Amino acid sequence: MAAAVPEPTTPTFREIDRSVIRVMDFPGTAYWIWIAFCFSLVGIGAALWTRQIYEGLGVTGLRQPVMWAIYITNFVFWVGIAHSGTLISAILFLFRTRWRTAVYRAAETMTLFAVATAGLFPMIHLGRVWFLYWLLPYPNERFLQPNFRSPLVWDAFAVSTYLTISALFLFMGLIPDVANAREQSTGWRKTFYSILSLGWQGTDRQWHHFSMAYLLMAGLATPLVISVHSVVSWDFAMAQLPGWHSTIFAPYFVAGAIFSGVAMVMTLLIPMRKWLKIEDLITPWHIDNLAKIVLLTSLVVSYSYATESFMVWYSGDKIEQMTFHMRYFGQWGWIFWVMILCNCVIPLLLFSPRIRVNMTILWIISIFVNIGMWFERFDIVAGSLATSFNPSQWHFYTPSITEIMITVGSFAWFLGLFSLFAKFVPIVSMTELKEGIEFLRQAVKKGSSTEA
Amino acid sequence: MPEGLSRRSFIKLAATASAAAAIPGCEPAARKLIPYVVPDENVTPGMPTYYATTCAECSAGCGVIATVREGRVTTLAGNPADPVGAGAICARGQAALQGLYNPDRLTAPMLRGDGGKLAKISWDEATKLMNDHLAAAAKAGQNRVAFVGAPQGPTFEKITRAFVAAYGSDRAIFYQALETEAARSSAHNVFGTRDLPIYKIDQAETLISFGADFLETGPSPVELARQYAAFRAPKTRRGQLTIGRSFYVGPRMSMTAAKCDDWISAAPGAEAQIAWSVLHVLVAQRWIAQNSGLDLGALTTMVSAYEPGAVGQRTGVAADMINAMATAFGKADGAVAIASGGDESLHMAAYILNAATGNIGRTTLFLEGAGPEPASTPSDVNTALTAMRDGKIDVAVVHGANPVFTMPSAMRAAESLQRAGFVVWMGTVPDETANMANLLLPAHHPLEAWRDTAPRPGVRGLGQPVMQPVIQSRAAADIMLSAAAKTSAKLPWGTAADAIKTEWAALAPQGSDAAAQVEFWTRARREGGLYSQAKSAAVKLSTTGLKTPPPGDGTSSGLTFVTYPHIFLYDGSGADKPWLQEIPDPVSQIVWDSWAEIHPTTAAKLGIAKDDLIELRTEHGVIEAPALLSAYVHPDAILVPLGQGHRSYGRYANDVGANPWQLLGGASMHLAVTAKATGRSRKLVSPLGKSEMMGRSIVEAMSLGELRHGGEPEEPAAPGPYEMYPAFPYPNHKWGMTIDVNACTGCSACVAACYAENNLPFVGKNRVDDGSIMSWIRIERYYPEDKEHAPNLYLAPMLCQQCNHAPCEPVCPVFASYHTEEGLNGQVYNRCVGTRYCENNCPYKVRRFNWFLPEWPAPLELQLNPEVTVRGAGVMEKCTFCIQRIQHAEIDARNADRALKDGEIVTACQGACPTRAITFGDMNDPQSAVMQRRDQNKPRNYRALAELNTQPAIVYLRDLYREKGKA
Repeated sequence: MAAAVPEPTTPTFREIDRSVIRVMDFPGTAYWIWIAFCFSLVGIGAALWTRQIYEGLGVTGLRQPVMWAIYITNFVFWVGIAHSGTLISAILFLFRTRWRTAVYRAAETMTLFAVATAGLFPMIHLGRVWFLYWLLPYPNERFLQPNFRSPLVWDAFAVSTYLTISALFLFMGLIPDVANAREQSTGWRKTFYSILSLGWQGTDRQWHHFSMAYLLMAGLATPLVISVHSVVSWDFAMAQLPGWHSTIFAPYFVAGAIFSGVAMVMTLLIPMRKWLKIEDLITPWHIDNLAKIVLLTSLVVSYSYATESFMVWYSGDKIEQMTFHMRYFGQWGWIFWVMILCNCVIPLLLFSPRIRVNMTILWIISIFVNIGMWFERFDIVAGSLATSFNPSQWHFYTPSITEIMITVGSFAWFLGLFSLFAKFVPIVSMTELKEGIEFLRQAVKKGSSTEA
Repeated sequence: MPEGLSRRSFIKLAATASAAAAIPGCEPAARKLIPYVVPDENVTPGMPTYYATTCAECSAGCGVIATVREGRVTTLAGNPADPVGAGAICARGQAALQGLYNPDRLTAPMLRGDGGKLAKISWDEATKLMNDHLAAAAKAGQNRVAFVGAPQGPTFEKITRAFVAAYGSDRAIFYQALETEAARSSAHNVFGTRDLPIYKIDQAETLISFGADFLETGPSPVELARQYAAFRAPKTRRGQLTIGRSFYVGPRMSMTAAKCDDWISAAPGAEAQIAWSVLHVLVAQRWIAQNSGLDLGALTTMVSAYEPGAVGQRTGVAADMINAMATAFGKADGAVAIASGGDESLHMAAYILNAATGNIGRTTLFLEGAGPEPASTPSDVNTALTAMRDGKIDVAVVHGANPVFTMPSAMRAAESLQRAGFVVWMGTVPDETANMANLLLPAHHPLEAWRDTAPRPGVRGLGQPVMQPVIQSRAAADIMLSAAAKTSAKLPWGTAADAIKTEWAALAPQGSDAAAQVEFWTRARREGGLYSQAKSAAVKLSTTGLKTPPPGDGTSSGLTFVTYPHIFLYDGSGADKPWLQEIPDPVSQIVWDSWAEIHPTTAAKLGIAKDDLIELRTEHGVIEAPALLSAYVHPDAILVPLGQGHRSYGRYANDVGANPWQLLGGASMHLAVTAKATGRSRKLVSPLGKSEMMGRSIVEAMSLGELRHGGEPEEPAAPGPYEMYPAFPYPNHKWGMTIDVNACTGCSACVAACYAENNLPFVGKNRVDDGSIMSWIRIERYYPEDKEHAPNLYLAPMLCQQCNHAPCEPVCPVFASYHTEEGLNGQVYNRCVGTRYCENNCPYKVRRFNWFLPEWPAPLELQLNPEVTVRGAGVMEKCTFCIQRIQHAEIDARNADRALKDGEIVTACQGACPTRAITFGDMNDPQSAVMQRRDQNKPRNYRALAELNTQPAIVYLRDLYREKGKA
């Protein structure tokens, strides 16, 4: 199978440094236009949010009984996206998976900004956002504390913990690389990298501590990969709503999160490696491995859908069956079938080794997976709410322009931040790439693209 | 400090100013109400004051108690002393408050100048102008001044007659849009009296309603609903548990029809034949009471053409059903037939049915001492209108009625008023009739004025003003009296207040001394009237004047248009009140619009789909209304309720729906129509999602057979191991409710009460469509899926169930939703951050989110209850069993150092309920009414969605139905 993978070039250490540092050159006009475009969309979203705060949530399409819809969908979607970063950097690190070295920095960066994007949505969605801090246990004279039985409080903890850890993990991993960049830059950039590198000199002692700290951090981050999305899934599973109340939700959400997250990594890396001219660092071999994860998690997700449906049928719960009937064949049935197509059918193409190295097709597949996973969350969140226990209160939901533009703005916010970051810090880990280069060379020689 | 104003005089002035500011309002006539400068000993700021008065929203004349806080009335509740309402009140009665505080009330006298423009003028100018015109009219000759208005009580009638008499006229027209002429003239022909009978449904075993929607509108909805609930309550008759047997004959499944055992779908106009056919069976079977005084021979000939088989063939109603009706009616221990509409032969049949079965004096009463008819006869109205058109009226004074809107177009009301010399309109919200007026005067709302009512012998209601006028208005009676005082006529009273006092002094027991007079007057004001038991009058039955319907009439003669008064908007007078627009019609569930109800097969024939605008054309006019497809109407009928279609009646009524009055030619509410699709459509807005329950336990019903077998036992609560947390202790009270679905008619008085008590905002049509309706309590209306084993419709109130295991509570991250130690699912509005998770997790969907900042255009905000927080945008709100009332009673009890008594706390919905379907109390006390009602109806107990183990504190008592075809 590996025969299809073209032989990657095997750059020297110097070539790696040059390629990566070159990326951080002062960007051209096209880049700034892209950044301006992204942040104007963010501006539109921010303006609409301001209006929403001023007038009330009535400007959204939310209604009785669909109290949660696109905002929460976006929240779950972005938290899901955030998962693959930590998966690739922490779990695959612990498993000593070699191919991660070229992609993990980008994945981690994506994680950080995805969590940052996700974190906006609980705020945007709140009726009285100015009291957001009431969800946190802060000391106050009235001894009022949040309700620890509420999954939303768990969520606040889970997401803030995840944001902290993924930021720490990213910035710690950056230390040797920004030190490298510091040595090769001048002006404010030098100051900037000096601060980020925390006085890194590359001494043995520092390397020793760094390696140990990185290992420990990876160990700390690993359970979070599982826990964060499990907690997010409990926002739904803890409710008794048909379509939400299910024990399968935690593993199902985690698999879905990795699925969508890795697909998003592909969505970002494939154009990035071309535009930033780092195709010799992030090779089709790397992408091929990512595609395999997408394929695997797609199968897990498909299995989850089947199990969920089976359990609904097997439980004999009429109300739950009706909810699922509506999900498949109701007014919004098309969403479900789009989701099945994107998440279960299209990824099957990845069984073909030739497709796994065809960057164009891979990129298109990854987009489909992103769409499918967004619709999956939308279907769970809004679809279940629309058809709950009391039929007299069944109503469907149509998003308003406010929600659509804030969603578009969130994508722009994510891509804009990612683009900025990619230009200012080393987006590929020079350090780890160098460590792995010998292996890469051998792997290519042996004609094996897999890692045990 | 300006020159000439010393410090001393400044302080003096300031003191005067603040003293003046402390007096609410400044109208001298009502200054005695709450003199805050020297407070009454029983007036404490912050504590409500209660005034007994009467409701002026319809002719039933229920007594009401107004809750007045800081000088403004905030709630209207029933007056328990009054035998009509007996402490309950309907939605329309409560919404009188929004007429009082309507933001579109006329605030100053207005004069219509050249080109129809209105200009503000002062009261002095206005009264002078009016007096000049009146004096000129009086000089011009006899009968050149006319009064046109609604009947507003005996004293008002006297004042009005004195007023027109002062100008040499006797044209005082008391015009009622929904007239009762056919019922009166039929009563005259059958019984020799034009009085309307008083019904005692609770004395009957069988009831047949021929199109009479007595639970919704006339003649006395609160009283008859109460009686109907008693009639339908399970009781033992002839050794068997049973409920009243009821039939409804008419073209539409109204709310009344829905609560009857059988709805007999009859083409509009076919009711009379069916009634006569029932009579035919009674006569044929000799189910005639011995002493009925009926001329059987004459009757036999009369009913000969109405043999059930023949009538069945002509009307499409099964002969078996007619026989079943006749059997149930003839064999009943007490029966009552009620008819409505403009068909005399139908009214007569109903009267004869009651008389033949010996029910006169039992279920159908004529009382001694009936006063004069409150409304003028149609012919008097017509004469006056003709006089106007002929230019024989120089001054027309209009008050309390809106003839331009509510008169069938054939009566040419607008044209008549246009030809009258000078039209003075006195009222609150300027309506279509005000558009015809030259001079517009802001009149008091009935709640601001002295009035009285005489709804029936034995009941005299005293309408006293309950607050200072909201705006610079004057009582209509005072305007007329002060005008008449300028003439040479001798008037017995100076003001309306005087008139009422004088008239009532005459009602005091004979030979009362001055002290007894004062005592009598005080008692009348405290109790809101004078109530006594009127004796049943003997009537003489006559069969000579009987009219029978032409046999063959009523068969399918093509499409027929039918209109009927809307349960809330009535003849159109309710349309300016946002509560009445926003509370969904209980049967159609539609808000803020008119609809044309049409059978799906008829609609298919005409090529009409849901929400298509239909053009309805009769010989008198044409209107357009969106189609509502419903299997619950006769295929030959297209029905549009009255009430909407205002073009000038304030912001809430204007340009909403269509006005069916325009299609009518006279008293008949149905006539031939041509209907066609216009090709346009307008979405009918409703907060309702699905109409089928899909096997879920939300509203439950059981058949009589099941009831007789003891019903099914309530499923036990989940056993111990399911309890993750220790049980709540409830050391003092555990509040609970019992709701009898069998008694609930769907009238939505509870919904209106909740709006008034808990400051629920109204949101308007578009926002209802957007899913933002704010009602905490609603009437669930479900269509039965198995029509054989279900009531006609499921109707029951749905409100927060105050679960013991509330799904809303644990999911709230900030404890805004929490469990109180008295078992309520509390909601701390100040703490709510608006995650809305609680509503997601509520299986009943009874929480409401504030999508926007609620608004009450001034002065509607004066109605707000200061005991309840007004919620801002972004906050979830819900029913808490009127926690403010619970607190109030608990604090009272604690201050008095006594235990809380059962029944001391009455929730708003419970207080309003005409059928007393709702009981509230302490579940910790097994002797409390709420627990007793559960225990006494064990077989009927159920909890909504009980399988979710939410353990609601509300126990519903199942609706009862008769399986089709069983006695």
